[in-house]
Amino acid sequence: MESNRPLFIPVILGTARMGRMSLHAARLVTGELGKCAGVETDLIDIARLPLPTNDAGEAIKQADFSAKMDKADALVIVSPEYNHGYSGLLKHVLDSCLKEYIHKAVGIVGVSAGPFGGTRVIQNLLPVMREIGLVTIFWDVNFSSVQKVFAEDGRLLDESYIRRIDKFLKELIWMAKTLRQGREQISLD
Amino acid sequence: MATVANTDKMICPSCRVEMNHHCDKLIYTTDTQDAGPTDTNLGGIIEEFHTCPKCGGGASRHA
Repeated sequence: MESNRPLFIPVILGTARMGRMSLHAARLVTGELGKCAGVETDLIDIARLPLPTNDAGEAIKQADFSAKMDKADALVIVSPEYNHGYSGLLKHVLDSCLKEYIHKAVGIVGVSAGPFGGTRVIQNLLPVMREIGLVTIFWDVNFSSVQKVFAEDGRLLDESYIRRIDKFLKELIWMAKTLRQGREQISLD
Repeated sequence: MATVANTDKMICPSCRVEMNHHCDKLIYTTDTQDAGPTDTNLGGIIEEFHTCPKCGGGASRHA
């Protein structure tokens, strides 16, 4: 039996850098998610999470972020590519939870100033996702040459991204529904 | 020492209904507080993950 509760799919903006273009990508994806029937979303900006840096892991779990991850049925992670990798702060934030992620879907949006659209950061995030119990989908969104995709005010200049985001979100929502059914109804034993 | 599976159903603290046990995860830790339930055959702690079928809330416990 399918639950009547709406799906909750927050978007995590995975960088705190000044001038980050990933903010525009995260806002766009959050807006498109908000148009999906039966889906609630929220944009979580890791720059605004009050996590200490003198410890790590679940020892620094932050109540509001933990509650949102627990409520979530799936996640979207928007990550820029810095020297082929993800930001240290994103890993710090992700590591603060574990049980909240188990058997939930995740889709990754890569952002880069160059031509590869964050493909390398996505590849680098996949083993991390697997280890913390998230289930990756096979659609990504790649924002290549992001400075040409958005105007300075965040306006989308290339409408072709809407169709790609739509395909990405459809796959993510299907996986979110399927995994919710599994978490709630299908026993391991 | 191998651990014995905990067969008691977890109860959702919000809905008071039985939760669904859907995942076991092997966790390695250096925390000596967690040394007790270590499964020596597997080399770590088995953590069980449960979800409430009513509200969707999650919970975990050592196996």
